[in-house]
Amino acid sequence: MTQSLDAYLILASLLFTIGTFGFLARRNAIAMLMSIELMLNAVNLAIVAFGAYVPTLAEDGALIALFVMAVAAAEATVGLAIIIAIYRNRRTPLVDEYASMRE
Amino acid sequence: MPFFTEAPETVATAGSSLDQALVLALLALPLAGFGLTALVGRRMGDKAWAIAVPAIVLVWLAALYLIFQTLVAGAYGEAGLHFRLYEWIPAGDFTVEVDFGVDALTAVMLIVVTTVGMLVHVYSIGYMAHDPGRWRFFAYLNFFMFSMLLLVLADNFLLLFVAWELVGLSSYLLIGFWYRRRSAALAAKKAFIVNRAGDFGFGLGIMAIWTTVGTLDYSDVFQLLPAQVESGAIEGWQMTGICLLLFAGAIGKSAQFPLHVWLPDAMEGPTPVSALIHAATMVNAGVYLVARANPLFAQSPEALLVVALVGTFTCVMAAAIAFTQKDIKRVLAYSTLSQLGYMFMALGVGAFVPAIFHLVTHGFFKGLLFLGSGSVIHAVHEEQDMDRMGGLWRRIGITHVTMLIGSLAIAGIPPLAGFFSKDEILGESFKLGFGWVWAIGIIVAVMTALYMFRLMGKTFYGPSNVDPHTEPRIHESPISMTGPLMLLAVPSVLIGFALGWPPESGLIHQWLAPVFHPLEEALHHGAADYQLLGIDGFLLGASVAVSAVGMVVAWRLFGFLSTMAPRPALVASLTARLNGPYRISRDKWYFDDLNHLLFVRVGGAVARALWWFDVHVIDGAVNGVASLTQGTGHGLRQIQTGRVQNYALGIAGGLLVIAVGYLFIVAR
Amino acid sequence: MALPQTIPFLGWSWDDLIFLVLAGLMLGGAVMVVIGRNIIRSGLFMILSFAALAGFYVLLGAPIVAAAQVLIYIGAISVLILFAIMLTQSKAGPSRLVFHHQAWAGAIAAIGLASLLVLVVLSTDWPAQVGQGTAAGTTAVAQLLFSEYVLAFEVVSVLLLAAVIGGVFLAKREESLDPGERAGDEPTLGRNQSPPVQADGRPSASTPRQVSGSARSTTAISERP
Repeated sequence: MTQSLDAYLILASLLFTIGTFGFLARRNAIAMLMSIELMLNAVNLAIVAFGAYVPTLAEDGALIALFVMAVAAAEATVGLAIIIAIYRNRRTPLVDEYASMRE
Repeated sequence: MPFFTEAPETVATAGSSLDQALVLALLALPLAGFGLTALVGRRMGDKAWAIAVPAIVLVWLAALYLIFQTLVAGAYGEAGLHFRLYEWIPAGDFTVEVDFGVDALTAVMLIVVTTVGMLVHVYSIGYMAHDPGRWRFFAYLNFFMFSMLLLVLADNFLLLFVAWELVGLSSYLLIGFWYRRRSAALAAKKAFIVNRAGDFGFGLGIMAIWTTVGTLDYSDVFQLLPAQVESGAIEGWQMTGICLLLFAGAIGKSAQFPLHVWLPDAMEGPTPVSALIHAATMVNAGVYLVARANPLFAQSPEALLVVALVGTFTCVMAAAIAFTQKDIKRVLAYSTLSQLGYMFMALGVGAFVPAIFHLVTHGFFKGLLFLGSGSVIHAVHEEQDMDRMGGLWRRIGITHVTMLIGSLAIAGIPPLAGFFSKDEILGESFKLGFGWVWAIGIIVAVMTALYMFRLMGKTFYGPSNVDPHTEPRIHESPISMTGPLMLLAVPSVLIGFALGWPPESGLIHQWLAPVFHPLEEALHHGAADYQLLGIDGFLLGASVAVSAVGMVVAWRLFGFLSTMAPRPALVASLTARLNGPYRISRDKWYFDDLNHLLFVRVGGAVARALWWFDVHVIDGAVNGVASLTQGTGHGLRQIQTGRVQNYALGIAGGLLVIAVGYLFIVAR
Repeated sequence: MALPQTIPFLGWSWDDLIFLVLAGLMLGGAVMVVIGRNIIRSGLFMILSFAALAGFYVLLGAPIVAAAQVLIYIGAISVLILFAIMLTQSKAGPSRLVFHHQAWAGAIAAIGLASLLVLVVLSTDWPAQVGQGTAAGTTAVAQLLFSEYVLAFEVVSVLLLAAVIGGVFLAKREESLDPGERAGDEPTLGRNQSPPVQADGRPSASTPRQVSGSARSTTAISERP
């Protein structure tokens, strides 16, 4: 009953929306980054679940998940570097105080 | 001369290239005089006239030659001398050439324009001797001569219109010559603006002519338009419309009712200007225009009736106003209006030759009177109020005698110039069946004599009312001023007899007969014999008699020489008894007030309403668009917070909307 | 050790129990990441959530993915994020307001999104489920990676190199370019001059730590895949 593609996909959906909410609602830039990681992981979970339940996709799903992780690592690297650079200028990690895109 | 393009077949070529060169010299000399005087006149000091006046004298000599060739020698035939300088506007079907023509009408106009112009130039040497801006004055005066000569020499309507506007401009410049004086600047503006009203009609008339016949050349228009009327291509009312539009221009330039208001105010200009422009030349342009367009007016009796009505009304009205004015130049100005009314009256009844005849004689004696008034004003130190003159006739003898001649001439006392021309106008109108015109003309003749000798009496006779301070310093004007007066007095005496005798078949009739041939033909005027002992003698006697009566009454009231003393008490009691008419006359029939009400009050209110409309609706629409954009931008700018999360929320919301929309609308 | 086939009293299979426990850990951890006031705790809960996810991968028969999840997410990214947290915590401490003022709108959007996704998942007729038998064998994955996906593999390596360079470049401290960096700095100071040693020594003390911290963390990631 519990272990079905539906269950995994719903789980992934919930994780994704939690990440979405975090990205939309948190003020801290690093918390936003963590939310993004959560969303990426939700996607990964869905991919692996598809791989597990669709026989032709078993290895491909795992591989795509690995690629996603690699890209996520790159994203985290650059994202954190940007946050640190901004923090150094602004002395705050709070995103809603970054409004220079407005000008 | 390779300078001139070969005249096409349609333009009759007569006269040698010397004659053509002289026609061009008529224009080039004043224009060069204007340019040179404007450039170097300021440095010439009190010799500022040294270019301008000789230029006009040369023009006068050249004009004399051309007049002789045209009128006496008949060197150019009936059609006159026509030639083309160059093609001005070659725009597809629309071509306008700079064509000049000298025919009998132009030659007669040249007599007045160049002679009076030359004398006024000479007179100005003395009159303007002490004015620091005299170089400007002479430059303007030359410019006016150029414009006026272009006006009479032009051989198509567009060139005529250009000259028409140029004389308006020079008139504006000269009226406002003393531009520091507010009244002068206002008068110049008034003249210009009132003229614009007429010019607007004139311009429309020219456009109507072009759209109807596709050409603006005099000879073509005068052949094609009547032909079209006869063939039924255009209706009679269209012809009348064209004529009335042209006449609107004439009304403006010749200061006829209802556009007459600018001329009295134009007396703010220097007196030579009043003599030249506002008596002898420019104001005659309207008469010239109607006379020039006589083949058109011949097709439209209705238009001629309007001309007659306007002329008659102006004639009476102006004479009535002239009774009560105190400013010597204003009296003369209203007198000019009245005499121009006579001319239009004559044109309206179809007596074109007498109209032009009166134009010529009036040009001379009114020029004389104006120059004389300038001499008087000069003598009493720039005083123009006739109540502060009097008894001058012994002090400034030459001026007095010449002005007396002018007054007798304008009053129509034989054998002076005015008698012949005025008598012809009255006689012809009676014989052409316009009894009412004749009756009014006779009344105006009485009034003319009356107001002219009122002017003479108040100025020259009776006790002196001159300011005691200036009294001892009254002096006769220098020879440069009295000379032109005397020279003008000669034609004022003789020209009527010279041109108008025998009556109705004098020289001027012979000269102008070819010009007005189409008119005579169209109106079917019977060539009645002149009967000195019949109807004509009676009419002549009547007009002389009423003029004499008016003159004698004026003598009794305002004095004459030393024989009659003025009776101010009688004048006062008459004035009191006729208080109503007196006030109407003194206040110029309230036309200025009417105009003020109509155009300043009502027009101002309308303009303010339009202004309001413009500001609030037109500008409001434009500004509204701007502020709408600005407001939208301002509103949208609020969305551009620069905060990533706001944008991300937008993305999430958009995703939701699209997904829900897809699920519930498209996928269903 | 012999375990009963089903959980006593409940009658569930053990897999189900594991699934539920893992799901609870993962979602609970994620929620704590999102709503936690203390950012460091958020990071730690994220590690918990990632670990539960690794369990799911094992459950789904993808051990290689599970291993990578532990190594990359827990070992590298989480540590990197924790370092970043430590670097960016201002002295003012955790902010009074955890959430943005648009949080309510974000919540509505998130709930809407969740219900939409669940609706879609439930209403979709997925292909026949074969069950747990199709485990992604490590050997098969490796062969696929170096045969069919070799181009993507190379591209990812280039991407990671670019990320390393970008990370270093972005986080590198530009000397005296940003005046906000040096407290009490005179604005007249020339751009190319080396910063004078401050009396309190705070900037000069903080500078090498930041640079070394970010540089070290980026290199740590880049070694990983």
